Amino acid sequence: MKSAKPFTHLRVASGFSFKYGTAHTHQLVERAAEFGAQSIALTDRDGMAGAISFVESCEANGIAPILGVNLSFIQKKYRVTLLAQRGYLGSLYRLVTAINMDNDENILTHNLLERFSEYSKNVLLLHGPESQLALAVSNRQISNALSIFNSTRELFASQGIECVSHQIRGDGPYSTSHAAKLLGFAQDNSIPAVLSNAVRMLDRSDGPVADVLDAARALVPLSARHIERKNSEAYLKSAPQMYAIADEISRMAGARDGQLLIKNTNDWAERSALSPRSDVGVGQIHLPEPSVVGAANRSELEAQLRARCEAGVASRYAGSQLVKANERLAQELLTVRTLGYETYFLTVADITDIARAKGIRVAARGSGAGSLICHALGISGVEPMTHGLLMERFCSPLRGELPDIDIDVESARRLEIYDAVFARYGDSNWGSPGNKSRCATVSMVETYRARHAIRDVGAALGIAPMEIDLIAKSMPHIRSKNIAKALENLPELKNLNLNTPILKVAIELAARLDGLPRHLAMHPCAIALSDIGLQDLAPIARSASGYPMAQFDKDGVESIGLLKLDVLGVRMQSSIAYAISEIKRTTGTELDIDRIPLDDAPTFDLIKSTRTLGIFQIESPGQRELVGKLAPETFNDLIIDISLFRPGPVKADMITPFLETRQGFRTRPVIHVDLESILKETEGVVVFHEQVIRIIATLTGATMAEADERRRELGTIDGQQRVCDWFYPSALAKGYTHKVVTEVWDILRAFASFGFCKAHAAAFALPTYQSAWLKTHHTAAFIAGVLTHDPGMYPKRLILGEAKQMGVAISPIDVNLSSTSYLVEDNGGAIRIALSDVSGISAEEVSTIISGQPYIDLADFVYRAGAARPTTEALIMVGGFDQLHKLGSGGINRRDLLLHLQDLYRLNGAKNSINQSQMNLGFEPPPLEASGLPNLTSSEIVKNEIDILGMDISSHLMEFYGEFLNAIGAVRSSDLLKHRSGSSVLVAGVKVALQTPPIRSGKRVMFLTLDDGFGCNDLTFFESVQGDYAEVLKNSWLFLARGEIRRTGPRGISLRATGAWELAESYEKWRNLTVYGAAASE
Amino acid sequence: MIAPEGEPIEFIYKGRKFHIHAIVSRWRESGGWWNRINDGNSHLNEANIFDDGARAIWRVEAAPEGALNTFEIELDEITKTWQIRPTSRPL
Repeated sequence: MKSAKPFTHLRVASGFSFKYGTAHTHQLVERAAEFGAQSIALTDRDGMAGAISFVESCEANGIAPILGVNLSFIQKKYRVTLLAQRGYLGSLYRLVTAINMDNDENILTHNLLERFSEYSKNVLLLHGPESQLALAVSNRQISNALSIFNSTRELFASQGIECVSHQIRGDGPYSTSHAAKLLGFAQDNSIPAVLSNAVRMLDRSDGPVADVLDAARALVPLSARHIERKNSEAYLKSAPQMYAIADEISRMAGARDGQLLIKNTNDWAERSALSPRSDVGVGQIHLPEPSVVGAANRSELEAQLRARCEAGVASRYAGSQLVKANERLAQELLTVRTLGYETYFLTVADITDIARAKGIRVAARGSGAGSLICHALGISGVEPMTHGLLMERFCSPLRGELPDIDIDVESARRLEIYDAVFARYGDSNWGSPGNKSRCATVSMVETYRARHAIRDVGAALGIAPMEIDLIAKSMPHIRSKNIAKALENLPELKNLNLNTPILKVAIELAARLDGLPRHLAMHPCAIALSDIGLQDLAPIARSASGYPMAQFDKDGVESIGLLKLDVLGVRMQSSIAYAISEIKRTTGTELDIDRIPLDDAPTFDLIKSTRTLGIFQIESPGQRELVGKLAPETFNDLIIDISLFRPGPVKADMITPFLETRQGFRTRPVIHVDLESILKETEGVVVFHEQVIRIIATLTGATMAEADERRRELGTIDGQQRVCDWFYPSALAKGYTHKVVTEVWDILRAFASFGFCKAHAAAFALPTYQSAWLKTHHTAAFIAGVLTHDPGMYPKRLILGEAKQMGVAISPIDVNLSSTSYLVEDNGGAIRIALSDVSGISAEEVSTIISGQPYIDLADFVYRAGAARPTTEALIMVGGFDQLHKLGSGGINRRDLLLHLQDLYRLNGAKNSINQSQMNLGFEPPPLEASGLPNLTSSEIVKNEIDILGMDISSHLMEFYGEFLNAIGAVRSSDLLKHRSGSSVLVAGVKVALQTPPIRSGKRVMFLTLDDGFGCNDLTFFESVQGDYAEVLKNSWLFLARGEIRRTGPRGISLRATGAWELAESYEKWRNLTVYGAAASE
Repeated sequence: MIAPEGEPIEFIYKGRKFHIHAIVSRWRESGGWWNRINDGNSHLNEANIFDDGARAIWRVEAAPEGALNTFEIELDEITKTWQIRPTSRPL
C-alpha cells in the first residue's frame, strides 16, 4: 500500500547506534514500508555498521535506502547528520573513514573537512536540534548562527536545517517551539528546512528499553537526571502523524501549514535515495586487479593460473592419475574462467605463499579442499580425487557468490600473516585523500544475549551486584528472550526468589534487549580484500588492535562482493610446527609432515587404542568413545569419524546403523546398484554433502553443480517440496522404479540437513592424522609441542600424565636446562618442563634467566639471572636447583637452599639491590651448608608442584589416596574394560573437564572427565542426578564417583554416573571411621 | 467531550461545565517507570506493555460562562483517565 501522501524519515537511528537505538534495521524498514514510504534513511550514531543489512531489507521491501551518519561536529556535544547523495555514497564512506582514522571519538572537525573536502563536497549536511547552529538560534544569536552555517557552506554539497518536535514541554531542543525557531531561522535566511523525527525507537512502548540503553551507555543507574528521554515520541511515526507535526511546527513559525516543510523533506529524500545495486554494490563482485598478481590483463591472468595449476598437478600426480587429474583440472579451470574468479584463486594462493615463505604452516579448511585447483596451488593439503571431494560443492557457475576459503595457520604466528597481507595489499597513508588500501579486517557485531542483557538491566535498575552476578554467571549462552525459561531450570538458582517485582521487570527488559547490537568488534579471523575501490564500498575504522577494519560484518562484505578470507589461528598447527622443529633440533632430521604416508598402521593402532589425548579433534571424551567404537583403519575412516561427531548425526542416531553394519551385526539393504559406489564407504548411511550431490546427479542425470543447488534447497520445507516436485519425474524418466525413487527421496529428505561437507571433514582429518602420526612416532616432540602451545581441552598435568604412560619421562625444571618452551631431551626419552610455566614468572625473567645460562650455583643465579626473589624461591621449591647442587646425594636439601637464599639476600640487603656489579666487587657469597632440617616430604613436593606449576610431576595426586581407594575397591580407569557392562563401580580422579553442552531438548547433561593416573574416566550425569551433585561437580577438584558401566564398542566404555563426592571429604570420613572402628574394637 | 483527533473540547470541573476556547500549549510526557516497580505487579498492564506513565497534556483557556480560566488537562494514556488542574493564569 503506497500512501497518497508519503513521508520519508531522514533521520533514523537503529540498534547499530550502540546502546542508543532500540530497533533492528529490518523492523524499521518493514514499518516504513507498511506506512507506504518510498524511502527511509539510516543515520546511525558514529558509524555505518548497519548499512548493508538495512539496504538489503529496503531492497526486499521495495523501498529506496538513504544512508547517512549522525556524528559529533566540532565539539563532542554538538551533533549533525550527514547524508550521502545519490551517486556519491563512496564520498560519504571515505569521509567517515577519514574521521574514524583521525580520532577515536568520531568528531568531524573543520581541519578534517578542509583536508577531505573532495569527499565532503559531495555530501549533504543537516543541522538538527543538537547542532551548534541550533543552540545559537535558540539563544537568539542569529548572526552567530549564520556564520556557523556559512563556515561550512563551501565544504558540503548542500546544507539544511532539520526540525524535530517530540512535543516535549517547554522550549528546549525537541520541543515544538524549538523546532519552530529553527524553521523561522531557515525561512528568514532562505535555507532549506526538513522535518525528521530523530527516530530511535520502533514504537512508543519502547521507551523503557531506550532508558536502559541510556543508563548502560552512561554506566549509571536509572534516574531522572541521567535520562535523555522526556517522553516516548522518538519512534517511527506514520505519514499522517508527521504531517500533523509539520503543521504544528510551521504554524508556530507563522506559516499557514507544513506543506513546505514536507516538500523540502521529500526533495532531500529524492536527492539521496540510493540504488542498492549501483550505489551500494549489493550483489556485485570486487576482486583485486590482475596487476596485483603481476598480470597485465584477463588473458595473462588465465594463463598464469593455468600454468601454476598444471605445474602443481604435474608435481603431485603420475601415470594414469596424472591424466585424470589433468582432465579434472581442465574442467575446474573452465568453471573459474566462466565466473572470472582467476584473481580470487591467485590472491588466496599469494597469501598462502606469503605464509609459507615465512615458514608458517597453512592449511585450507572448508569446502575449498574439494577443489583440485586449491590443492595444485598449495592452498589445500588434501588430495581431493581419492576422497571423492567435489569442486561443485565449493564453487559453481550456478551460484552468483564468491566461494569461501578459510585458511588455518599457526595460532602463535597468525598476526604475522595479517601484517604481511597489509604490507602487500594495504596502504598506510590515511591522513590525506586517495588512500589505496585493498584490504581491511572485517567487523563483528556483538549483540545482547542473556548474560550481558541481564547485567546491563540489573545495573540500570540498581539491583544488588551480587544478585545480578549470580544470575548472569549461571546463564548459559542463550538468547536473552529465553532467560525466564532458563532460570526455572537452573538448580543453582533454586534459592533465589525470582518473583520479586524488580527481578520480573529485569527479566522482561532483558528479553527486550535480545539481539540488539551492543558493540562492534574486530572479527577474530576475517580479512576482506578487493580492488583499489575498497573504500568507496565500505567505511573503515581502526580496530582496537590497530588494524584498519571495515565497519561491515562478514555477511556485509560478502553481500557487496569483497573477497573474504578467514585466517584462523589453530594451536594444533603451532604444536605441529613446534614438534617438527624439536625433531630437527634433536635429530637433525627435516620432517616434511605434509608428505607422510596416510596409511601408517601404528598410527591407526594408537587411534584405535583411544589414547588420543592431545590429538586434534579426537581427544574429547565423546570422541574417545566414538573412536573406540568406530576403530578407524584408514584416513577415510577418520573423515567419517569427524563427520559423525556432530550434534545432528548424534541426535539423528546415524552412528548406530553405521557401526552395526560396520561391525557385522546388521546387513545393509542395497537400494540400487547405481548408488553402491556412493553409499558403500559409509555403510549406506548418508553422511556427506558430496554423497547427496552424487545421489541426486546419478538418479536425475543432473550435473553436479545443479545437484548441489538442489541439495541447498533441501534446507527449507518449501525448498524440499520444490526439489521433490522435480526429483520424482526426473528420476522416473531415467528409468528408476517408483520404489527406488521413493526410498532414495526418503533418505535425502531425512539426512540432507545433517550432512557434512566431506571436503571440510577431510581438511580437519589431515591435522588429526598428522598429530596422531607425530604422537606415535615422535611422542616426546609431539607432547612437547602440545605442552608449549596448549591446543586442546585438557590441563597440562593430564598431558604430562599421558607422556609418562607412553614411556616419556618428565624432567623437572632445571635452571640450567629449562627454556621458554618444553624441550625434548634424552633422544626423545624425556621432556624438560619450561620455565614459562612457573607461576608468577615474567616473560622478561624467562629471557634473562635463559641468556644467563649456565649458572654455577644458586649465588651465581641470584646475581646474574635477573629473577625476582619469589621467582627464585619458586624455582627452588620445584627443584630447579636440585641438579645444580646435587641434591639427591645426601647432605643439603631444598630447605637448605631456601635458607641459603635468605642468607644471600640478608648479606646483600645492606648493599642495596643485588646486581652484577656487586658480583664483580668480589663479595664472597655466604657458605651453603646443610642445616640438618628434614627435606620436604613427597606430598609437600607435589603440593608445591601444583601450586607453582599447576602440574603434579614427581608423583600423581591420586597416589596419596591409594590405600583408601584400594580399601574401598575403587576401579582404575585402565581396568574398567575388565568389568561387566551394567555393573556399578567406584572410580576416582582429578577433574580434567566438566562440560555441559547445550542439548536441543533443553535438558542438561553434564560430562565429567576424571584422571586417575592410569587414564581417564568419563562420567555422564543426566538431569535426574544433577540436582544432588551439581554443586560438588562445579566446585570440587578431586572426586570419588560412582557409576554404572556401559560398554559401547570394542574399546568404548562410558559411565552413567549415580553419585559424586569430594575425595578428600570421603577420605576423612573413611579415616575417622577406621580410627573410630579400631578404637571401638580395643 | 473529545474531538475526533483526540483533543479535548469540553469538560466538567467542580460540577460546572467548561468549554475550551483555545489550546495555549500541549505536550507529552512519560518516563519514571523504574520508580514504580516495587508496588507489586503494576509494571505491566494487560497488553504486557510497561507502565511508562505516558500522558498527554493540554494547557487550555476555558470558561463556564464568560469567565475565562486556564487549566491543565492530563490524559493518562494507559488508563485513559483524565485529570484537570486549574492554573493561575494563562501563559
